[in-house]
Amino acid sequence: MKKFAYYDTGHEFPEEIVMAAGFTPYKILGDVNAPNDPADRYIHHYICPFSRSCLTEGMAKSHEWVGIAFCHGCDTTNNQYDIWKRHVKTDFLYWINTPAKNDATAMTYHEHELRRFIAHLETHFKVTVTDDKLKAAIQTSNRIKRLMRELSALRATKDISNTSYHDLTRKCVQMEKNEVIAELEAARERWRNQPPFPPDRIPVLLTGSDITYGAVMEILEAARLRAVRDDLSLGERYFAETIDETIDPVKALVAYHTRIPQPPTRIPFERRLEFLKKCLWETPVSGVVYQILKFCEPHGLDLPFMTGELKKTGKKVIVIEREYTPTMDQQLVSRLESFREIL
Amino acid sequence: MITVGIDIGSITTKIAMMENKKLVYTDLSLSGYDMTAAWKTIYEKMLQKTGRNETAVDAIVSTGYGRANVKIATRQITEISCHAAGARHFFPDVKAVIDIGGQDSKCIKMDDRGDVVDFVMNDKCAAGTGRFLEVMARALHVEIGDFAVMSKKAKKPVTISSMCTVFAESEVISMIATGESRENIIAGIHDSIASRMVSMMNRTGIEKPVVMTGGVSKNSGMRSAIEKRFGVKLGVPDEAQVCGAIGAAILASR
Ligand code: SF4
Repeated sequence: MKKFAYYDTGHEFPEEIVMAAGFTPYKILGDVNAPNDPADRYIHHYICPFSRSCLTEGMAKSHEWVGIAFCHGCDTTNNQYDIWKRHVKTDFLYWINTPAKNDATAMTYHEHELRRFIAHLETHFKVTVTDDKLKAAIQTSNRIKRLMRELSALRATKDISNTSYHDLTRKCVQMEKNEVIAELEAARERWRNQPPFPPDRIPVLLTGSDITYGAVMEILEAARLRAVRDDLSLGERYFAETIDETIDPVKALVAYHTRIPQPPTRIPFERRLEFLKKCLWETPVSGVVYQILKFCEPHGLDLPFMTGELKKTGKKVIVIEREYTPTMDQQLVSRLESFREIL
Repeated sequence: MITVGIDIGSITTKIAMMENKKLVYTDLSLSGYDMTAAWKTIYEKMLQKTGRNETAVDAIVSTGYGRANVKIATRQITEISCHAAGARHFFPDVKAVIDIGGQDSKCIKMDDRGDVVDFVMNDKCAAGTGRFLEVMARALHVEIGDFAVMSKKAKKPVTISSMCTVFAESEVISMIATGESRENIIAGIHDSIASRMVSMMNRTGIEKPVVMTGGVSKNSGMRSAIEKRFGVKLGVPDEAQVCGAIGAAILASR
């Protein structure tokens, strides 16, 4: 199946619409191992390095994709639409203006935006996106989300490395969906037979900038911390909720996006906090790791409020700022080890 | 019981020996490229000077950036816990520790029992660290040891607005070009680090008494800039630069 790429800093993109159009949704996640210099010609290097890496990937790989869609996401990414239009070769570049609010007006607007996206796909690719096809796609999506929920829950009771979990979350947004289901079912069998949660590991809640490469997870592992809960887009934000299969599918997608763990780009930030507090209440964790990618604006803006509120719960919180690099940052390992010592 | 603490920092390696909870020896040297050679040299020197045999040492704790290099260590503990324990050795009531090291700076909050309850470290950049002072000293052609005296002669400290070491350096160079006095610039540099430390400390909440450890605590100009901003008098241990190693030696006995 041909790939349709999307550029989305949170979990806003309606993968199910693209699936119903007959394509495999592919989330652009950049490549931390590749130098960013192609993108650096067009974006200042003080701008989020992850977003520059995505442009680098877009410039190198767009020929593999039938089209690309943007979601509103963060200010860094949505402002890059013009840059992509100029420098990324594609026959179909589209921007879905996903709203930042969750009120009734925003929902009506969101529905309109999704229907407009469907109409453009239908015209450009000469396909029809029927309600039945959408419902089938939603069922597939929900199956993945349920499997991921089962797998995610095992993190707190079994010996599941941070990287193994991260690898699966990446596959969910980049692989063909039936292959994803097969992968997740196989992982479920393996994970169920894993030894119990190791006594020398400390369970934590992981939040902050989206983690798009394994080295960050390895840093946690080196500090003997295990992320057993999170609110990341490559993580629980993607599967914490399922999509209503009984109502109009477009309306169901809109409603779904108001219920998911909110990213920092949405307002008010209390909604994001609610989910994090729910995680702390549901799962015994020893502390919270709040990691932020250097130059990540939305998280930089959320950080003082969120950390202050999380500390009020009585949990210890560490804030670490990371570079966009595949190398294992020993300074960060050391800081996390200090954190483990006080837990 | 004889215990040893070895603190391998990015710039200096420190060592301390405690005998029955009494500090009997401290020393420091440059870490250099070969951190293993650095700690071995001062470790052997310590054994020689104290007339001890290696077998007399009951436990060794290594700490600091290069702690994994000390293969003979009984345990490795991070510098946060060690600095807290070291500061408490000199000031038993301490509730907060400020440490400005070579490549990082930290604020540590402690409870009544001396346990670390929270800490904040600088972001991933050299601003507000010992390295920042070194870069500025180079730009000003001043020995870092003269910073304290010179800053006290400042008539009107400048404001350094850039938090990035590289940009701050060019800001300082522009000030030199416009004829600003070195005294005013140095006082401004101290102020800019102090303000950074205050904002870090505010993230954990300031509790008194506050103790300052690390090599930068020897700079009285830096100390007064922090005291002015905090509105608190800082306690400075006699062996401030070796505090992490002393803390490691204390924790080795537990
Ligand atoms: S890391 Fe932060 S700034 Fe970068 S794209 Fe994601 S949300 Fe935007």
